[in-house]
Amino acid sequence: MADTFLDSTELVLNMGPQHPSTHGVLRVILKLDGERVLGTECVIGYLHRGVEKIAENRTWQMFAPYVDRMDYVAAVSNGLGYCLAVEKLLGVEAPPRAQAVRVILTELNRIASHLLWLGTHALDIGAITPLFYCMREREYVLNIYEKYCGARLTTHAFRIGGLQYETYEGFEKECLEFCDLFEKKIDEYEELLTGNRIWQQRLTGVGILTAEDCKEYGVTGPMLRAAGVKWDIRKAQPYSGYEKYDFEIPVRENGDTYDRYIVRMQEMRQSVRIVRQAVADIPAGPILAKVGKVIKPPVGEAYVSIEAPKGELGYYVVSDGSTQPYRVRIRPPSFVNLQALDKMCRGALVADVVAIIGTTDIVLGEVDR
Amino acid sequence: MPDDTKPEGASAPEPTSEPAAKPGAEQPAPAEAQPAAEAAPAASAPEKPPAAPAAGGQPAPKPAPAAKPAAAAGAAKPAAAAAPKAPAAMAATPWESDLTRALKEEFGDQILDFSSYAGQNFLAAKPEAAVPILESLKEIHDFDYLVDVTAVHWPDKPEPFEIVYIVYSFARNERIRMKIRIPEGYKPRTAVPVHLTANWLEREVYDMFGVEFEGHPDMRRILLPEEWETFPLRKENSILKMDQHWVQENLGIESGQ
Amino acid sequence: MKQLLRKVFLADLIEGLRVTFRHQHPKQIVTEQYPQERPKIGERYRGAPRLNINPDNGETLCIACDLCALACPENLIVVGWERNPETKKKELVTFTYDISRCMFCGLCEDACPVDALELTQDFEMASYTREGAILDRQTLENGLLPTRYRF
Repeated sequence: MADTFLDSTELVLNMGPQHPSTHGVLRVILKLDGERVLGTECVIGYLHRGVEKIAENRTWQMFAPYVDRMDYVAAVSNGLGYCLAVEKLLGVEAPPRAQAVRVILTELNRIASHLLWLGTHALDIGAITPLFYCMREREYVLNIYEKYCGARLTTHAFRIGGLQYETYEGFEKECLEFCDLFEKKIDEYEELLTGNRIWQQRLTGVGILTAEDCKEYGVTGPMLRAAGVKWDIRKAQPYSGYEKYDFEIPVRENGDTYDRYIVRMQEMRQSVRIVRQAVADIPAGPILAKVGKVIKPPVGEAYVSIEAPKGELGYYVVSDGSTQPYRVRIRPPSFVNLQALDKMCRGALVADVVAIIGTTDIVLGEVDR
Repeated sequence: MPDDTKPEGASAPEPTSEPAAKPGAEQPAPAEAQPAAEAAPAASAPEKPPAAPAAGGQPAPKPAPAAKPAAAAGAAKPAAAAAPKAPAAMAATPWESDLTRALKEEFGDQILDFSSYAGQNFLAAKPEAAVPILESLKEIHDFDYLVDVTAVHWPDKPEPFEIVYIVYSFARNERIRMKIRIPEGYKPRTAVPVHLTANWLEREVYDMFGVEFEGHPDMRRILLPEEWETFPLRKENSILKMDQHWVQENLGIESGQ
Repeated sequence: MKQLLRKVFLADLIEGLRVTFRHQHPKQIVTEQYPQERPKIGERYRGAPRLNINPDNGETLCIACDLCALACPENLIVVGWERNPETKKKELVTFTYDISRCMFCGLCEDACPVDALELTQDFEMASYTREGAILDRQTLENGLLPTRYRF
């Protein structure tokens, strides 16, 4: 297209790191031909805190609160992944009661994370209303967290080997109340958005990633499922007792932004389903496995990954037999998914870039670590 | 809280003497596989002493002086007791399957060994064989998703950097790791032609460890500023020792601590 | 046909607007008027730290065991103690807690064997200076003073 206009030149546009639609401190350098994007380059690292280095200087338990600060909208999922990885090294498994509570909290977290995504994504597209509704419902989840473990966002809810806190009185009731309420609210969001012609026109056919692209770029999570690959670690390699629960993996075919929206909405419904099943059947028993006060895993290494709201969140932990981790490598879903941004943006309009960044569902705390 | 107040030995880890409490699926029969783990690397190590895999039971010379007696003690004791209380080297067990046989046939001695730890399989390869193996895994064996590329720094070993590739196969629902060990200054070939994911992941390895990848399209730092001088995840850089020079010049503060 | 009619009569937009207007009802207001209206804080909320004192005799519950300082990932607790020559027991002298670095993970609270250190439901910890965020023993025992605003 560029060569049809003889004297047109490429324009380099700097988007971010302060741009509100980049969801944090992502800087995207856009190479433009008129309104068309010729190429993008992401500049990341503004929020780099050296989490992996911090890990090498803390004991195994002490590092647990730090992982909450990566994907801070899904702190519970982060904590679960880390605890599972260390438990794998130790060769212990959390007691059934702890596993059930973990599943409940993680699924609530998935809802909270998707709600924040939905609100901000809709805001990026131009629909302001859903943001307020999503935040309102998210508040219920955060209140449950606050009552359960004492913190709302960076929860530090799980400990290596199980849980620190017993469920509070009325925990089950509140979870079920939230489920009842939330199912109606999802219908409301869908009434607002799914059929809306502006929403459809802005999202359909934008930022297409085929299944091959996804595999090539290592894209996981809802983005992969929107491209038609029915793959969810909760089903493929169940952890924390997910095999006990009955749920479906929502899949769409086209792999565009609209399909990702649909997949995430369906996922929230499935999460509600899992929460209901898990709440109905929380086994009695201890909540903490016998791990001792000082955690000293044997020499070894393990890679454990979970299905975080954003995709595959992996922890590669190496122990040298001391009380401190020798190496903790975090495989963040946002970081890897963001790599496909260039592929999705090529040929799109500038306004679509905003939609595509929104649909990638990145959290910069996790990208930069 | 009740667990905390118990006056049990605060320094010793909980003695995991009851193997029944361990999930059976997690550790595939460590008891009978233990002697084999001791034997297998010992057989392979003399052939290629510099490339001895960290995974094997053979203790590396420098970093763990206690390794030898511990391993010997582990062998002397009943194997079941030795398994949870791991010796100073990782108690990995050999890994054999159709995949390992196929790979062994294709790459021969390019692959140093196949092992398994905590139910997770991994192979150690010669550095120059890494990309061909990844390619073969992708094309022939369906491992079409490169999960992660990362590194571990072992400063006391002759080949201090261990590059770890984690690959997954959607078709087989199987996740394996490949490790290569490289000396300082060695440039492994990039995996970008095989998996595009490797682009940023390798950049991050370069950023954190200073391992450059040969043929990478864009070998720059990714998270840290371009002018940053140190490679933070190397073990010689403690958490307090960082590039103060850059901080003072660009941020106008005395120290980033 | 139905699709076309829906399109012509802007059915999708009207459906969305119906949701919006349903929320205009005063019963749907969920906003908390924060400074006037105090939020309900969870019982286990991890907020400002407090050093509990024994209500019976007014002595501190802290036994100066230093476990909280060891458990803290950020190393922000400093316990000063000296041995009482008469009873040969450790006695707490100073206790500093730097909330500017604290991430309220609750590990110190978990580590405390006598429930002396506790993270309370007080969440208003703002101060005008960095020094104001370093709490000494007296502040920890009496609780944080409400912030006085400079305007």
